[in-house]
Formats: sequence, C-alpha cells, structure tokens
Amino acid sequence: MIRYVSSRLVLAVVMVLLASLVIFLIANSVPGDPVLLQLGDLGASNPVMVAAFRHKWGLDLPLWDRYWIFLDGLFHGDLGNSIASRRPVLADIIDYAPATIELASCAFLLSLVVGLPLGIIAAVRRDSWVDHIARVVSLIGVSAPAFWLAFIMLAIFYGQLDWAPGPGRLDPVAFPPDRVTGLLLIDTVLAGDWDTFHDALAHLVLPSIVLASATLGLITRTTRAAMLEALSQDYVRVARAKGLRRFVVVLGHALPNAMLPVVTLGGLAYANLLSGAVLTETIFSWPGLGRYTFQSAVALDFPAITGMTVVIASVYVLVNLMVDVSYALLDPRVVRR
Amino acid sequence: MSEEDPSGLGRRPLILSAPALLAALLAQARPADAQSAARRATLVIALDFSDTTTLDPGRVAGYSNPLPTRMAYDPLVTMAPGDYITVRPCVATEWSYLPDGKTIRFKLRDDIRFVSGRPLTAEDVRFSFTRLLTMKYQASQYLAHVDHVAAVDDHTVDFVLKDPTQPLVTIIAAPEFGISDKAAVIEHGGTDIDAANKDTATPWLDQNSVGSGAFRLTGWERNQSISLVRNPTYWAGKPGYERVLIRQMSESAAQLLALKRGDVDVAFNLIPEQIATLKDDPNIDVIRVTSLDYLYMAVSETTENPALTKTQARQAIGYAIDYDGIIKELIGGNATRPAAFLPVGVNGSTDALTKEIGYHQDLDRARQLLKEAGLPEGFSFTLNFANQSLAGVAYRDVAVKVQSDLARVGIRAELAPMDMVSMYAAYNAARLQAVLGFWNPPAVENQLWASATVVRVAKRLHWDVPPDFTQLVHDAAAERDLAKAAAMWREYQVRMVGFAHLFVLIQPIYQIAVRKSVSGLKITAAGWMAEVDAARPV
Repeated sequence: MIRYVSSRLVLAVVMVLLASLVIFLIANSVPGDPVLLQLGDLGASNPVMVAAFRHKWGLDLPLWDRYWIFLDGLFHGDLGNSIASRRPVLADIIDYAPATIELASCAFLLSLVVGLPLGIIAAVRRDSWVDHIARVVSLIGVSAPAFWLAFIMLAIFYGQLDWAPGPGRLDPVAFPPDRVTGLLLIDTVLAGDWDTFHDALAHLVLPSIVLASATLGLITRTTRAAMLEALSQDYVRVARAKGLRRFVVVLGHALPNAMLPVVTLGGLAYANLLSGAVLTETIFSWPGLGRYTFQSAVALDFPAITGMTVVIASVYVLVNLMVDVSYALLDPRVVRR
Repeated sequence: MSEEDPSGLGRRPLILSAPALLAALLAQARPADAQSAARRATLVIALDFSDTTTLDPGRVAGYSNPLPTRMAYDPLVTMAPGDYITVRPCVATEWSYLPDGKTIRFKLRDDIRFVSGRPLTAEDVRFSFTRLLTMKYQASQYLAHVDHVAAVDDHTVDFVLKDPTQPLVTIIAAPEFGISDKAAVIEHGGTDIDAANKDTATPWLDQNSVGSGAFRLTGWERNQSISLVRNPTYWAGKPGYERVLIRQMSESAAQLLALKRGDVDVAFNLIPEQIATLKDDPNIDVIRVTSLDYLYMAVSETTENPALTKTQARQAIGYAIDYDGIIKELIGGNATRPAAFLPVGVNGSTDALTKEIGYHQDLDRARQLLKEAGLPEGFSFTLNFANQSLAGVAYRDVAVKVQSDLARVGIRAELAPMDMVSMYAAYNAARLQAVLGFWNPPAVENQLWASATVVRVAKRLHWDVPPDFTQLVHDAAAERDLAKAAAMWREYQVRMVGFAHLFVLIQPIYQIAVRKSVSGLKITAAGWMAEVDAARPV
C-alpha cells in the first residue's frame, strides 16, 4: 500500500510541474502585453516607465530564466507576486480559496446526499416513477447551463418568493466573523455567532444548488448505471437466494461493488468544483478562485495565472490520489495487481 | 409483487427528505431584516469594482476605485456635479499664479482635521504630492510638469511648475490627488523619498484610509466589498449615513434583483433594458447623467491600406455612418456625441457644436468624397474591436451597424474581433487599420484628451500631425481665460473633423438606479461617480 501511494505521489509532483510548464509557455505566447493594462494609456507610451515596469516584474528576462525563477520560488513555497494586485500570489489565493472551498464542498455534499440515493433507488426500482424523476433531474442538471440556472434560481427564490437571500456570502450589513479559516460556516461557529452562521448558510443554498446540479446529474446517472450492473451479478442473486433482506443486498453487497466508477467521477467532479466556477461565482458575487483566475487571465497577470495553474493541478492530482487510495480500500485487488 | 417494500428502503425514500431539509435550512436561516436600524443607517451601493487593484490614493488609477477614494480623501479643489468647467474650492480656498508665472499658490482651510484628529496642514499637502510624484505610478504621469511642491506656512502651499503652460488645477481635482495624513502614512511605511522603491504603506492603505473625507475606509474584501464608516468630524457637515458599503456585483441582473428587493440602495451597472423595467417602480428613481466617457472609432493612415491614407476616403467613412441610428437603436437614445475628441460637457464642446460642425450621415456626400479620392467603387479596410461593452452596448453590435452603414456607399469593413489585451497591444504598436476604442480620462482637463490625439493616438494611426495643429492644442491648454480657451477648443474640433481620424459614436448617458429611501445622492461624471456625503436615509 505504501509503495502504491508513494509511486502515485511521485507521479503527482511530475504532473504538477508539467502542467505549470505548459501553462507558463501558453500564457507567455499570447500576443497581448500586461504593460498597457497596468500602466494605462499614458504610462504605456512612456518608454522609461515601460522599461522600469518590465524590469521590476522580470518581463525583460528570457522566458527560461523566468520559468527557472518561478520554479526556484515554487520550491521555497513562493508563487511570486501578482502583477495586478501587487501582492504575493499565495496571499491572493489564500484570500479567495475559502469562499470556493466552502461553496464547492457544500455543492459536492449536496450532490452526494441527493445523487447517490436517487441513483440507487432509480436502479432498484427501475422504470418506476422514482427512476423517471431521477432521469429528469439528471437531464436538467447535466444540460442546464449554470448561468441560466443561477438566474432562474435567483429570480424565483430571491426576487419573487423571498425564500433565499441574494448574491454574496453574507447579508450586506452583517459583520463577518474574525478570520480563522476563512470558511464562514466554521469561523462563525468558532466565534459562537449563530446569527451570522445562519446568514452564511442561507447564502450558500442557492449557489450550492446551482453548482451541484451538473455534478448531481452525473452522480445520479453513474450510480444508477453501476448499480444496475451490480444488481444483475450472480453474487447478488446468491445473496437474495440466501434470504437476505433487500436492504442488505442493495447497500451491503451491490453498492460497494458499484462504487468504483462513482468514486472516480465524484473525485473529478469535486476537483472541478474546487478549481472555481467563474459563472456561478460571478452571478452570485462570490469572491472565489474562479473569478480570480478569470481576472488574472484577462489581465495577463502571468504570476497569478501560473500560480493558479499549480494550485488547480495540485487539487486534481491530490483528489486523484485520494481516489486511487480509495480504490485500494474499496477493492484490495487494485493494490495486488 | 408483495405488499412488503422490495427494496427495504422504506416508503418515503431518503431523496424526498433532501428538499425538505433544504427548505428547513432556509426557513431557519432567514436573511437579516432589510429594514433593521443598522440597514437603514447603511448606504449599500452595488458596483462592479473588479478593476480595483488598490485603494492607496498614490496608486489609484482605475474606473471604480476613485469612488471610495473620493469619499475618504479630500482634494485641494473639486468640481460640482454637472459643471465640468468651473473648478471649485475644497481643501484649498483660493489659488493664483505668483508673479514668476510658474508657481501656483494655494491657500488652505484651517478647520480641517484628518480622521486621526490631526489638523490638515500644508506639509501634509506637500508630502502627499511628493509621495505621489516619486511613486512614479500612473497618476504621477499627469503631473510630469510639476517641479516640486513646497509648504510656505501651515496653510499655504506652492506648486512650482517646470512648464507653466501646462494645466494643473483641473487635473488635481481628481480623487487620486486627495490629501493624506503625513504622520499616519509614515507610521505605516510610507515615504516621500523614492517612494517607487521604498514606500511600503500600500497594503495598509488598501484597508484603511488616512484622509479627511466624509468617510473612513475600514476594509476592503477583494472582489467582495469595500466598507467605510462616517467621519463624525467631517468639516463640511455630518454625513447622512453611518456606514457605506460598496458591494461587488459584476452581474447587472443580480444588481437589479438586489435593488428591487431593497438589499442594495444604488445600482451603478444596470443596462438600458433593465432600467426600462424600473419605469413604473414606486420605490426606485433613475438618475441620468451624461458621462464624459465615449466609444470611438479610430481610422489609421497606415500605408498597408492605401485607401485610408486619403483624407477624402476617411471623410467618406465619417459621412456614411448613421450616428443617430446608433444612438437611437443600440442604446435607446441614452447617449449623445461630440463633434470630435472632446466630450460634450467640457469647455468648448456642446451638443449644439456637434450639430453645427460634426459629422452626420450624408450618403451622397460620402459617395462624392469617394469619387474625389479616386475610389468611386469604395474600398475595404479591417475594423478591429474587443469583446467589450459600454453601457450595455456590445462593441460587436456597434461594429456590425457601422459595417452595414458603410456598405451603403461601397466601403467594405471587415470585422475582426479580438481579445481586449491583444487588441490594445496591437493598437498601441500601430498595427491596426481601424479600431473601436473607449476613452475615459483620469481628470476633466481638455488637454488630457487633446494632447493624446496629437501625440499617442497620432502615432498609433500613422498620422503626421501638422505642427500648427500641435501648437493649437498647446496654446489652448495654456490659455487661462475660459472663454478664449473655449474658442480655441472649438477650432481644435473643427480641424479634427477635417482630419477624419477619430469618430466618436456613443457618449453614454449613464442611468443610476437609486431607491427612494435615499435622498441627496449626487451623481457626477467627473470621475468619482458620486458624492455620497450629502446622501441621507429618508
């Protein structure tokens, strides 16, 4: 098991470095120039200012020197400074990450809580009304664009029915708790501020549903398909023949064997949610990594773009590693092979 | 099928309990009461301030960060909303040129205190400007003609100019030239000696303000909110709101919903279609203000396209465009346009002047000009534009409209959309034949528009500017008599129309939606969006 995990860890580090190199090359081959955006129209026409700016940000160095400086910083835990915000990229990411982690985790939890049971029941009661509902929910979840769903949800549940609060992480006049983790649900509990906890929770509901919709659809469909296959296996027939209750057969025998594809998909879906959702974050005024990445890309903020790539690649690699490990736990044959 | 549940999962599957759980969560977690006392004492402004990268007044240079900066810092002079010609006192009560002709002396109020309680003195003014000049950031570029600033006594300060023909007073009305508390800036790492390399106060100033304005900055959550509290000792009277919260809302539809629900009081970024839905809303007013921003089309003289080197061919473009149609159809009439590069509202540029000397659609004249240019069959050129929009109008739609207008006289515009950064880089490098661009100067000073046309923009357009025209711009900027200057700026515009390089298409009338529970909010086009100190809850 240790060998299995360590070999994947080494592979993970190589993958992150490769991803950073690729994005570094792509970002630097774009014909645009961050100078104009940062110095403005007048500043960009002043050669002295332009030269000073390029020198300050290392834009006058050869590409490979810049990449080497980036790698050197990376090994020392430094992602460089953002050209746009003039702060360390890591500080920016630490500022924005909690909002994304909180939203992504809630959305993922929601899609698991709803998607797994729905998929299981849809498989057990094939072609029943539950199955039909599961199919419709999956279809809407997978096919409805996030921005459309976000507007519809806001217009109905916030604008018309007044059941949910509007965009943002907190009510406009609510005071955020002292920052400990940056996760409002946790920080408010730590501060014992239950009113703000409820407020933060309420603000999470609509964006979580929107973000969860696509993941939920995928998880429901995959669970259903995997369960249908598992339920048709001989060991399930034997278990039934032994007189075990259907409950035990479905959840105790079929489900663990159907989990491999669901875990794979779930892992990727969670990594996808964690890497930020630009549209959902934009519409719900959610200060997360998705918008930060988007703004960095638009401003050609090379250090921020490369730093975010490393973070996103690391998230994917880490989640995949966890998925690999969970394979080994779910199916010991994986390690033996 | 037996009566027994075959799945053993129960008659009420778990899945059905999930929505119930969510509903219970929401029911329990109601949003705070929008009518609470704290909410009433807070002015909530919805604004897309995603371009804000700092709130340090020495580094402010953007579209949205002047708003909180102006709320927290007082400049020496200011302009009243709606009057973008007359400079008015603020921290300075009076100013005049000394007999040497190159020194402007400002007399300061003696009753202003910073939020720290310290009095505002001439030394604070000297420090603030010297820090800004040595910071060598964007704002310092506009004061490149200032040699130094000197405190004469506690309430007198001199600005000594390297080039006294260049304007100063209009420029320093911009929010980035607000006065900071020297002691507080130094305490947090600021300096006025080689600030570009040695000043480390910006991170602190991003979260706290050290001005004497109506409000004090108390925090900036990036991409989330900017919060300010009332300065109870504000010299110009107690501000009406205890707190002002500027909320990041990039999406105009979300701003509209939040405004209608009363979660925000002011929405800055609604598009005309959304404004139209507020017409009969009993709780919301719409304030209209003619901006000083505009969307223009620049046409190069690049030899890459010989047709564009001919003045008559470019003038034919000017006469073929349906300006009224663009304003009426694309922006619902909520715009005006100047004759040339000076927006309507500044000295020497009016709607009447546009009617008198500006381009208007005249297809026969356009065809005649094409004949005179030796291009009776028309010509082709490439029109680049970015994926942007102004006041809800996509540049793409403007480009398509211009293309169809030009086609009526045989001019074929090939549309070339680009990403914004790449397009401006190519435009800056003078590699484009024609572009749609946006112009928004940092201060209301005609020279900032006009000198750009004869220097930077001219280079991008391969335009060899006649020396007497450059001299005209210089003389108009140096003229201190407003009436005489207005006449010279008129002459500038007449000649700009003749050169036919720049065609302003849309100078939008911004429509700001404000809940009727707010009174006294003044909207300005001068660059800082609004004057909030006089706003009060009704």
